[in-house]
Amino acid sequence: MAANSIKLLAGNSHPELANLVSEKLGIPLCKVKVSRYANMETAVTIGESVRDEDVFILQTGSDSVNDHLMELLIMINACKTASARRITCVIPSFPYARQDKKDKSRAPITAKLMANMLQTAGCNHVITMDLHASQIQGFFDVPVDNLYAEPSVIRYIKENIDYSNAVIVSPDAGGAKRAAALADRLDLNFALIHKERPRPNEISRMVLVGDVRNKICILVDDMADTCGTLAKAAETLTQHNAESVIALVTHGILSGNAIERINSSKLTKVVCTNTVPLGDKMKVCPKLAIIDISATLAEAIRRLHNGESVSYLFTHAP
Amino acid sequence: MRKSKVFIGSSNPELGRLVCDRLGVEPAPCTLTKFSNGETSVSIGVSVRDEDTYVIQSGSSIVNDNIMELLILVSALRGGSAKRITAILPYFPYSKQSKMKKHRGAIVAKMVSNLMVMAGVDHVITVDLHSSQMQGFFHVPVDNLYSAPLLARWIRHNVEDWQNAVVVSKNPGGTKRVTGLADMLKIDFAMINTDKRRKPYRPSRPTYSRSSSMAPQEDNSAFAITESEFITARIVQGRVVEEDYSEETGNDSGQMSESIISIMSATEHALGGTVDAEVNSSDDEEYPIEAVKEPADIERIGREAAIKSNPTDKTITLVGNVRDRTAIIVDDILDRPDSFINAAEHCRFFGGAKHVVIVATHGVLSADSLNSLENEPCIDRVVVTNTFPIDASKRTKSKKLVVIDMSSLLAECIRRNHYGESIASLFDKAFLE
Repeated sequence: MAANSIKLLAGNSHPELANLVSEKLGIPLCKVKVSRYANMETAVTIGESVRDEDVFILQTGSDSVNDHLMELLIMINACKTASARRITCVIPSFPYARQDKKDKSRAPITAKLMANMLQTAGCNHVITMDLHASQIQGFFDVPVDNLYAEPSVIRYIKENIDYSNAVIVSPDAGGAKRAAALADRLDLNFALIHKERPRPNEISRMVLVGDVRNKICILVDDMADTCGTLAKAAETLTQHNAESVIALVTHGILSGNAIERINSSKLTKVVCTNTVPLGDKMKVCPKLAIIDISATLAEAIRRLHNGESVSYLFTHAP
Repeated sequence: MRKSKVFIGSSNPELGRLVCDRLGVEPAPCTLTKFSNGETSVSIGVSVRDEDTYVIQSGSSIVNDNIMELLILVSALRGGSAKRITAILPYFPYSKQSKMKKHRGAIVAKMVSNLMVMAGVDHVITVDLHSSQMQGFFHVPVDNLYSAPLLARWIRHNVEDWQNAVVVSKNPGGTKRVTGLADMLKIDFAMINTDKRRKPYRPSRPTYSRSSSMAPQEDNSAFAITESEFITARIVQGRVVEEDYSEETGNDSGQMSESIISIMSATEHALGGTVDAEVNSSDDEEYPIEAVKEPADIERIGREAAIKSNPTDKTITLVGNVRDRTAIIVDDILDRPDSFINAAEHCRFFGGAKHVVIVATHGVLSADSLNSLENEPCIDRVVVTNTFPIDASKRTKSKKLVVIDMSSLLAECIRRNHYGESIASLFDKAFLE
């Protein structure tokens, strides 16, 4: 039996990341043509044989999420019908991950729907990074490898921030665990900001729990979307005499008027990983910086293909 | 309720009875037995054809038997042509194992939900799921009821000066739950973090001035704590002690100089890559990973696991202010008491809390947890709901234990489900007050 090899396919959501991963793996991207019909339906043509190959499809959630999702589903299905041996979706930023629970009556669990759709299309394995809730792994009936950006983030902090006088801050109660884990790894203190729910005739106030006086505050979260929370948190921290405020987020979605918010906020720096394409946002926002996590993805792909353990990557950045 | 039957599993018959009383129905007759080889056997004593059926089953100390019984009961109802089968799990067994531990863990809660759906469950009702994302594990609707309004009502009526009390999360993962309750009561909250031993070099650490050098560690008056929002201490052999406590090595001065050296070289420490990933997941108390051979082993393993999960030296940090106030330590599941006791000691001795009350939805209280809590002078009251059965003998022995009845909530949810009414208002605190 011929040895099967990695076939790396990439959707249109994040070509830069795809190129980085392909470079790190030393494997060229498979030829895929994605086009649109006049009525805006997506069409996919796989340009080379994937029969009996180990297929990895890289697609992330970014702007025009739904189009990219359809593209991914069609690519999976195309590979499946073309007799790929195994189809692994590499989804660095899992779309719809925030809709993961019925937090209100009649709310849909869209993340579960996503999982069902991917499996129905023919996905055999999923690689993702910093899931909003790790329970999403349980929405799938196929294995999900949830990688962590934490090792890369820690490396960034150690190389770029004078962290001896820093404190890790979670911008909301839900992220306390993430912040505490990071604080633990760096041997720092951590603090927490809680936004009290607005009550009738009362302005909701931000409560800071912890001491940040004359300290570098490192705000940690898994994603930054409109940056309202981060900006408010930075404001609160500055009011409490923080020396400077740096935000470290895994998924820098930065939609809407996030860039203006960051520019006008008290944040000194916003550091995201490249799970989501930032496009030309770097140019208009001098406060943005990027951590490259393509090496982690490439290493996970390589290990998965060779049948090696992936857990090393949970604590180490390659 | 016409065309409906309520079955009560053997795990929590008392709660089942209360729910049936509230609904004004008799529990449907069924016999739950075990063959001599340990297999569970179920026979349903009434026709369920085209009926709306409900099965109330919680967890208990024989959780696997409970699950099998539920599955067999449900599949018997399915086989008996029941129109709809609703499983009511006031406490969802295995809900703590709802995510993959970092290394090759199974998501057992997901497996249990698959089993239930496969057996024929059409609808699930439960209370305070350990993680609400678990609703997505099912292919059928799940109603996750909240106990918070009932707990808040208890606090309002029973904690003196509750307006000045502070709700405390004993680990960062539970902060969200705690802030919800704090918002509901409009009171402050605080948080406790326990992690691996750190070197006590951080400048924000409060300073303790001792009145006498040999003061007993647990003597409150011996310390004057400067105002700070971080209060740290150490956990040594399961007990909370002050930061510069030294073990009885008989070499106090040696220890001292060592810690001075560590202040100098603090930055070198931080993070080598040797930290085991498992250490990070200490937030949920780990279950013992060991083969269980005999029932008698379980208790022993529980004890050993308690020691294992409490490596002798840890740092405990309180973030927030509980001085001269009542600390209400809140979590969803109260199982092993160690982390609660440590949190209570820390709030009391180092945080300066006036009283400490422990509030949890599910009082699992395995082995002799209740006894340990009872004997802990720092804890004034232990409040749980009756979602999880607590032995009558245990309950009467404890003077601190308060059990809040959840049957009204469950019964109302069943009634509304049966009549096709919205249950949204059950989440509304106004309904319960």
